[in-house]
Amino acid sequence: MKHAFIIGARVIAQLKGDKRFLALSLIAPLIIIYLLKLLFDAIAPPPLPSIPGMMPLGLDLFSAAKFILPAAAFIVHFLSFVLCAILLVQERTRGTLDRMLISGFRKISIISGYTIGYFGLATLQALLVIAEANYLFDFNFPFKTICILFLVIWLLAIVSVMLGIFISTFARHEGHVFPFIPLIILPSVFLTGVIVDPEKLPRLANYLGYLFPLRYANNIIITLQKNNYGFNDLWPDFLILIVYAIALLLLAAGTMKEKE
Amino acid sequence: MNSVEIKSLTKSYGKFSVLKNINLEVAEGSIFGLIGPNGAGKTTLIKAMVGALKINSGQISVLGKNPLKNSWDLRRQVGYMPQSPSLYGDLSARQNISFFGKAQNISGLEKEVDKILEFTELTERGNDPVRNFSGGMQKRVSLACALIHSPKIIFLDEPTAAVDPHLKQRTWELFKKLSKQGITIFVSTHLMDEALLCDKITILRQGEVLAVDTPQNFLARGKTKIKYEKNGEAKELISGSDAFSLAIELKKLGLQSDISKIQIEQDNIENIILQITDKKQE
Repeated sequence: MKHAFIIGARVIAQLKGDKRFLALSLIAPLIIIYLLKLLFDAIAPPPLPSIPGMMPLGLDLFSAAKFILPAAAFIVHFLSFVLCAILLVQERTRGTLDRMLISGFRKISIISGYTIGYFGLATLQALLVIAEANYLFDFNFPFKTICILFLVIWLLAIVSVMLGIFISTFARHEGHVFPFIPLIILPSVFLTGVIVDPEKLPRLANYLGYLFPLRYANNIIITLQKNNYGFNDLWPDFLILIVYAIALLLLAAGTMKEKE
Repeated sequence: MNSVEIKSLTKSYGKFSVLKNINLEVAEGSIFGLIGPNGAGKTTLIKAMVGALKINSGQISVLGKNPLKNSWDLRRQVGYMPQSPSLYGDLSARQNISFFGKAQNISGLEKEVDKILEFTELTERGNDPVRNFSGGMQKRVSLACALIHSPKIIFLDEPTAAVDPHLKQRTWELFKKLSKQGITIFVSTHLMDEALLCDKITILRQGEVLAVDTPQNFLARGKTKIKYEKNGEAKELISGSDAFSLAIELKKLGLQSDISKIQIEQDNIENIILQITDKKQE
């Protein structure tokens, strides 16, 4: 475990040293959410004259939270996956992965170290994204909901890091990571509730959506927008996300080679 | 006593044989050179010795242990400097050395880092990010990372490739210092002139060991051309490269008044090694 923390500390030192990478990881999601705000402002229905005693028409039809929060979760998911996968592939192409293994670090320490290194980044990403979305779209969620939102996006970021580590074991160079984006990341936009309710999709597409971690994160995000949600409505999806993270950690440990 | 013993080692990727029936012995505390062109199998052989590569058949013993079965025990006693610097560019030289040192749980690590920075003449630039270093300096940081845990044997994969002659000389001075401390040095290179700096060399070509000997014995295998001019006519004699053979040939010529010019051309180590590899190719 000590070795995992040593690698984690090195990953953090490396992230701090790479200002461009850090800026991309933290500022890019904020820019995308701001662009979404501009988009929503442009396509939102014009405000209707309010009639006393009646709900303004169109407001419920176009609830920004329905789209923005899943979109924010997707951005964090995408960036965490791509950036972690590329960094780990760089370890391989630079020869530092081989050197770490030959020097005495075990593969489980390397994978755990990377996860520890990304904990901080995932936390910052989740915090910033929720703070900005809440500010721009004025969601007025209760504090408890905001905390759970943070937790789910943070957990999704950790799952994405694990996914990135797992996929990186199949890539010999950075270019090999990109074919996995249309294969693994982009389908989650269509199948997990970012754009449409997956229950309204054809049965097969709906079932396929269950393969992607974003589905479970979005289930939680959608539940949180209901007024009277309880712990029992949330824990199954949280549990699946945690199991997903552990399974990916074990898969990555299984596929990473210590010896050629 | 031998630090490395290899018997009948083979390694292939599919149908392609990378190492064919390799047999080697490396004496403790010596500088052993693995000479061969690019693609000869030098890196593969080194990776097999540091336990990073599964072999198809044969036996490898490093410090009396099997590097595949006892890799975790051996890693504390073995240093490895890969062909590429294999460093973190965003981290300083000190951070890089310290990071790889932590893998070995060294006590008083920071003092050891200071010592190794001084030994590799990097103290002044120790806190600079490695990405700002020249290729030669990065190689020295890489060497420092391989030495931080005071290994008993160090494997160096082309440590002076693309390094300027001045820095190359200084790097070899470091190797000599390490050898004097009793550390076995196994160095691969495609630069033939470096062969002369080793205690023993082996020539590897297309995965096969062509010859193993001391540089002096290799030089003795060469020929010396004695070109001379007698009565205005250019002539040539071929002699062995050793001093005795040369004396015998020169005695034949004497210092006769009709010999107006004598020129001696000795085979250098590069020619001799190329002759050995070409002969095998035929």
